[in-house]
Amino acid sequence: MTETTVGIGGAAEGTDMVLNIGPQHPSTHGVLRLRLILDGERISHAEPVIGYMHRGAEKLFEARDYRQIIMLANRHDWLSAFSNELGVVIAVERMLGMEVPERAVWTRTLLAELNRVLNHLMFLGSYPLELGGITPVFYAFREREELQNILEEVSGGRMHYMFNRVGGLKEDLPNGWLGRAREAVADVRSRMDVFDRLVLGNEIFRGRTRGVGVLTPQTVHAYGVSGPIARASGVDFDLRRDEPYLAYGELQDTLNVATRTEGDCLARFECLLEQTHNSLDLADACLDRIAELPPGPINQRLPKVLKAPEGHTYAWTENPLGINGYYLVSKGDKTPYRLKLRSASYNNIQALTELLPGTLVADMVAILGSMFFVVGDIDK
Amino acid sequence: MSPVPGHGLAKGLAVTLRTMTRRSVTHQYPDAAPHLPPRSRGVIALFEENCTVCMLCARECPDWCIYIDSHKETVPPAAPGGRERSRNVLDRFAIDFALCMYCGICIEVCPFDALFWSPEFEYAETDIRELTHERDKLREWMWTVPTPPALDPGAEEPKEIAAARKTAEKLAAAQETAAQQTETPEGGA
Amino acid sequence: MDVTPQPQLLPEPRRLGTLARLAPEPMKVVLNWGRRYSLWVFNFGLACCAIEFIAASMARHDFIRLGVIPFAPGPRQADLMIVSGTVTDKMAPAVKRLYEQMPEPKYVISFGACSNCGGPYWDSYSVTKGVDQIIPVDVYVPGCPPRPEALLQGILKLQEKIARESLGERYADGSGAAGGNGAGPHPSPAALTSALVTPPPAPAADAGPADASAPGEGGR
Repeated sequence: MTETTVGIGGAAEGTDMVLNIGPQHPSTHGVLRLRLILDGERISHAEPVIGYMHRGAEKLFEARDYRQIIMLANRHDWLSAFSNELGVVIAVERMLGMEVPERAVWTRTLLAELNRVLNHLMFLGSYPLELGGITPVFYAFREREELQNILEEVSGGRMHYMFNRVGGLKEDLPNGWLGRAREAVADVRSRMDVFDRLVLGNEIFRGRTRGVGVLTPQTVHAYGVSGPIARASGVDFDLRRDEPYLAYGELQDTLNVATRTEGDCLARFECLLEQTHNSLDLADACLDRIAELPPGPINQRLPKVLKAPEGHTYAWTENPLGINGYYLVSKGDKTPYRLKLRSASYNNIQALTELLPGTLVADMVAILGSMFFVVGDIDK
Repeated sequence: MSPVPGHGLAKGLAVTLRTMTRRSVTHQYPDAAPHLPPRSRGVIALFEENCTVCMLCARECPDWCIYIDSHKETVPPAAPGGRERSRNVLDRFAIDFALCMYCGICIEVCPFDALFWSPEFEYAETDIRELTHERDKLREWMWTVPTPPALDPGAEEPKEIAAARKTAEKLAAAQETAAQQTETPEGGA
Repeated sequence: MDVTPQPQLLPEPRRLGTLARLAPEPMKVVLNWGRRYSLWVFNFGLACCAIEFIAASMARHDFIRLGVIPFAPGPRQADLMIVSGTVTDKMAPAVKRLYEQMPEPKYVISFGACSNCGGPYWDSYSVTKGVDQIIPVDVYVPGCPPRPEALLQGILKLQEKIARESLGERYADGSGAAGGNGAGPHPSPAALTSALVTPPPAPAADAGPADASAPGEGGR
């Protein structure tokens, strides 16, 4: 098929319109820029222009020791700080061949799940906001504050917990915290029907998301999309079940991997919502288990200077937004030789080039919002 | 989903109505101080009496936002005929809170418990230079440091307590054996 | 040693209207009062701190109580810009352009360590070391990220500043700063390269409460 363009004067230039979305645009919650080429109201070509938030974290890892890396690693995806820390310490522990005390394993699992709820609540609130419904975000933040209080009480930080250490956690839980955490989880669960009914039951919401932006399983595989977005397209893959880390191996009865087959925006939202419910259940299961555990340490005594032995390893975890991996290469120094970061949103957002062409400009925001990305996670 | 049009709107209004009857969740911040947990990472306080100018905090800080100056001083011998000792005297201890990333590594590495977290957070400034707080200000924050929370019953006891208990037990055992030794000869006689 | 160059601002018409210039003192107080409690805010949300900014605008902290209105349709309708998050070199031109789109009088709050001076990314190759290198900043809120209450306190600080200020002085100084060295009401980035605080001249024998205040005074 050949394409012939006959040009007379300046008229040969296409009548396509180039539209720039971002980098500062209210609906991109962050600084993602999209360069769209429009044919009328239809998008004919879309290109995510990334790098507005590139902070060079991978290079900075190479100049920091393993404790300092934890502090930097939790900042790339600021909505899932705990899970980000977790990947680093799992990688270093694996290199050292270090056993983590049981108490630390369960507490880590609990905090990772609470962090997942926090992350999902943000998107459960902001996605309806992008579609024009301002109310749910207020409810989402009410729940977020509740859980953030709990996490601040244990770690001292509201967003960047800096609570993981190689070999365990920084310090043990405060007295009575388990009860307060259980209360908070119950409170949040009791109010989750806001999202079940108010958001998911809303006709406008359903009308704007059903059948919009269908992501095929082929595209998922081609672009390495992961997390709830991939599961909404029927790609049933969850590291918590398929390659259990932490205590997920023992939580298989409670763990329920939410999947859909439609692959549209609604399916992605439903996956996220179902996963939030499941995370709350998992948190409860962890709380039960921690209460039963015999008293014991929560971390390992570390040497003054922590050096990972020479070698390399790849540690991946199921972050709230998808697979987050760290490829750690060590030459036996205090600092890693290279720490490659595979972040979930980076891959997820690339699928937009496939997903957006052919859709209407009005649906663009609905699709973009349903990709559940964090710009820092894209640009690292 | 719903056969009746406007069903979603009615549901939304019902939620609003229900929420309206509840107490508002707003915290009246400037009027009412927030209730912060003791571990909250607000500001770093310095207990300068404990500082030995070992520079560990400044060295381990990922941001290098701690500035320490000191000088050596010779202390006359405690007893006549003794040796003169030299010790470090802290001249300047400043933390640049514009740069600080509140990770707490300095507090963790401090071997002499001279640094603490305080939940204070009200120190926004109109000039960035004023965010570098000197030791007198850091010392003042020391008064706002809360007592650390008690640990969960399932936790291992802190190593200070464990060490103290071990010493106490050893002492008690020694006293017991001493008492027995003094008792046995008496009993024999 | 001019490490941080002066921000080059647009030659805006920075002058007072007749009404504001000729208004009697009580009227100016009223004008300042109005300006202070209706700050339409434009959130330049960039990173983690943006989430805390959103949290501050939500029901729990609710900064509309303080007269900060987060519904500015765009920078052209805003009075206050809150830069929350890491400003990268790629993003910096956009920050500057949006700042220039804002109408006078405009205020900037730098929220968090990253926008104060680079924060955790102080040695990164791609991060601007502080938003004050490109635009003047009125209030710096420390934290990484700061709590929402810290933002509220920063807003209170800004409101105090607005209550005290006189627009005539602000603009007189502003035009001077644009021409030469920074003597304006905004902290000039060039001044940040000044020498470190000198240690107290006399070696203190022991750290008594009387001596403890010496280094602080030496610095200022």
